Amino acid sequence: MDFQMASFITSGLLVIIGLYGVFFVDNVLKKIIALEFLGNGVNLALITIGYNGRIVPIKLPGVSFEVFAKESAYPLTHALVLTNIVIEASMLAVMLGVSIILYKKYKTLKSSVILKED
Amino acid sequence: MNYLPMIVVFPLIMAIIMNLLHGKEKAVKYITFITAAILIILPFISQYGYYYFGGHGVVDGWVSGIAYLYNPAKQAVIVTLSLIASLVLISGMGEKLTNNMFVTLTLMGFASVAAIVLADDIFNLYVFFEIVSIVQAGLVFLSGTEEAYKAGLRYMILGNVAASLMLLGIAFLLASTGTLNITDMKNYILVDNPMIYGGLLLLIVGLTYGAGLPPFHNVKADLYARSKGFISAMLQTYSKFVLVGLMIVILKLFNGLDYFVSAHGVLIALGVLAMVFGVVMALLQSDYKRLLAYHAISQGGYVATGLALGTPLGIVAGIFHAINHVIYKSALFLGAYIVSHKGGSNLHKLGGLLPLMPSVAFMVLCAKLAISGVPPFNGFQSKWMLAQAAMQVNMPEIAMIMIIVSIGTFVSMMKAFYLIYLKPVDEETLKEYQNKGVPKLAVFSLFVLTALCVIIGIYPDIVTNYLWDYANELGVNYCLK
Repeated sequence: MDFQMASFITSGLLVIIGLYGVFFVDNVLKKIIALEFLGNGVNLALITIGYNGRIVPIKLPGVSFEVFAKESAYPLTHALVLTNIVIEASMLAVMLGVSIILYKKYKTLKSSVILKED
Repeated sequence: MNYLPMIVVFPLIMAIIMNLLHGKEKAVKYITFITAAILIILPFISQYGYYYFGGHGVVDGWVSGIAYLYNPAKQAVIVTLSLIASLVLISGMGEKLTNNMFVTLTLMGFASVAAIVLADDIFNLYVFFEIVSIVQAGLVFLSGTEEAYKAGLRYMILGNVAASLMLLGIAFLLASTGTLNITDMKNYILVDNPMIYGGLLLLIVGLTYGAGLPPFHNVKADLYARSKGFISAMLQTYSKFVLVGLMIVILKLFNGLDYFVSAHGVLIALGVLAMVFGVVMALLQSDYKRLLAYHAISQGGYVATGLALGTPLGIVAGIFHAINHVIYKSALFLGAYIVSHKGGSNLHKLGGLLPLMPSVAFMVLCAKLAISGVPPFNGFQSKWMLAQAAMQVNMPEIAMIMIIVSIGTFVSMMKAFYLIYLKPVDEETLKEYQNKGVPKLAVFSLFVLTALCVIIGIYPDIVTNYLWDYANELGVNYCLK
C-alpha cells in the first residue's frame, strides 16, 4: 500500500472514532478528546490531499526556485491546517473552562447529568 | 479609497480595544455609542465589486488570497445587520452586565457574519463560521446561570463536530478543483464525481448547524431561550444571516448542475421540517422567551425553503424574508426583555401589563401581526412572495404548509399577547409592577424596528430592488412537471 492511501485510511479512522466518541461516550472530557480526534483526522486528510508524492513545501538553501516550484507539495493545504489548529485550540480552551465550571457545580463529568436538557 | 474591508476589520479592532477597557463603564458607554453610529455608515461608503486582500489579484488566471465580493444584495443584508447590531448595542448600554465583554463579543460576531456574507473565499468563510459559534456561546455565557453554561457547552460540542465536517467538505472540494476561490471553483466543478457530492453533503451539514435547521434546532432554540432578551435578538440575527450567506455560496457553486436537483429536495425538506417542528414546539411552551426561540427556528425554515427553491423569485423572497424576520423578531425579543424587567418570562405568572405600558404593547402587537403575515406589515409581503415562488415551481403543497404554519404562529402569538398584557391580575401584583421601571433605550430600539416593519410593509420595493440583480445571476428557472 502506498503512503498516501495509508494516510487517507488513518484519517478516515480518526474521523469515525471521533464521531463515535462524541455521540456515544457518556463523559464530557472524553467527548472533548474525541473532538480532537475528529479535528486531527480532518487535518490529516487536508495535508494528504496536498502531498501527492512530493517533497516538503519548505524552500531549503540549496534548492533553486524552479526545482522547488516543480517538486514541492501543494502548500495551500498546510496553511489551512495551521489556521485550523489555532481555531481548534481556542475552542478547546473555552470548552474545558466551561466543563470545569460545570464540574464544580455538579461534582461529576457525566454528560447525561450535566448536559441534560430540561 | 475602498472602505469594504473596514466592514470586517473595524469591528474587530474595536472589539480588541473594548476588551482592554475592563471596568471603565463610562468610557465603554461613549465608545459604544460612536461605534454603533460608524457601523451604520460603513456599508454605504464601500464600493461594489471584488476586493482582494493584500493586493493579491489574479495570477496566471487563478485568484490567490482572500477575496470579498460586494454587490447591492449583500449591501441590503449588511445594512440590516449593522442596523440591528447598533440598536442592540444601544439597548445593552443601560444594562449592568459586564458591559465591555458584551460589546466585544457583539462586535466580533458582527464582523464574522459580515465576513461570511461577503466572502468569496471558502476557507475564509470556514474560519469566520467557527468564530460565530464561539461568539454565540460566549454571549450566552454572559448571563451567568447554570442553564446558560449547559446550553453553551452543548452548542460548542455540536458546533465543533459540524464545523470539522464542513472543513472536510471544503477539503473534498479543494481536492477535486484545486482552488478555494468560489468564483473560480464554479468553473471547475462541472465534472460529475463523488468527491463533489461529498463536499456538497458536508457543506449542508455546516449549513444546518449554522442556521439551526433540524437536527440542530433544539440546541439553537435552547441558546436563544437562555440568554437575555436583547442578546437573543442579536443571536437570531447571526443565525439567519449565516443561513443566507452559506446558502448563497451553495447556490453559487452548484445551482444549475444536473445532480443538484436532488439536493434541492433535501434542502426544501430541511426547511419544511424546521417550519413545522418550530411552530409545533412553540405552541407547547409556557415560557415567553422559549416560545419566541422556537418561532425563530420556524421562520428560519421559511428562509431556507425560499432560498432552496433556487429560482430567482425564490432567492429574492428568501433573502427578503430573512431581512424582515430579523427586524420583527428582534422587536419581539426586545419586547420580551422589557417585560422581563417587570416580572420574568413565565407566561402563567404575568398579566395585566396593558395599562402600565400601552405604547410598548401596541408596538409588540405590530411585530406579532408582522410575524403572522397580516397585510400592512412586512411579514405579509415576504410570505406572499415565498408562496408565489413555491407556486411558480409547481409545488403548491409547500405554499399550503406555509399558510398553515402562519396560522399556528398567529395562534401562539395571540395566546402570549393575551397572557402577558390582557389577563386580569390581583391588586398586589399590579402594585409590584408599577414600582419597577422600563429600560428607555430598549423602548427606543423597539420603536425604530416597529417603524421599519410598517415602512417595509407598505413599500417593499425599497428592499427588493436591491436583490433582483444578484438573484437573477444565481437563480435557475425550472418547473416540476
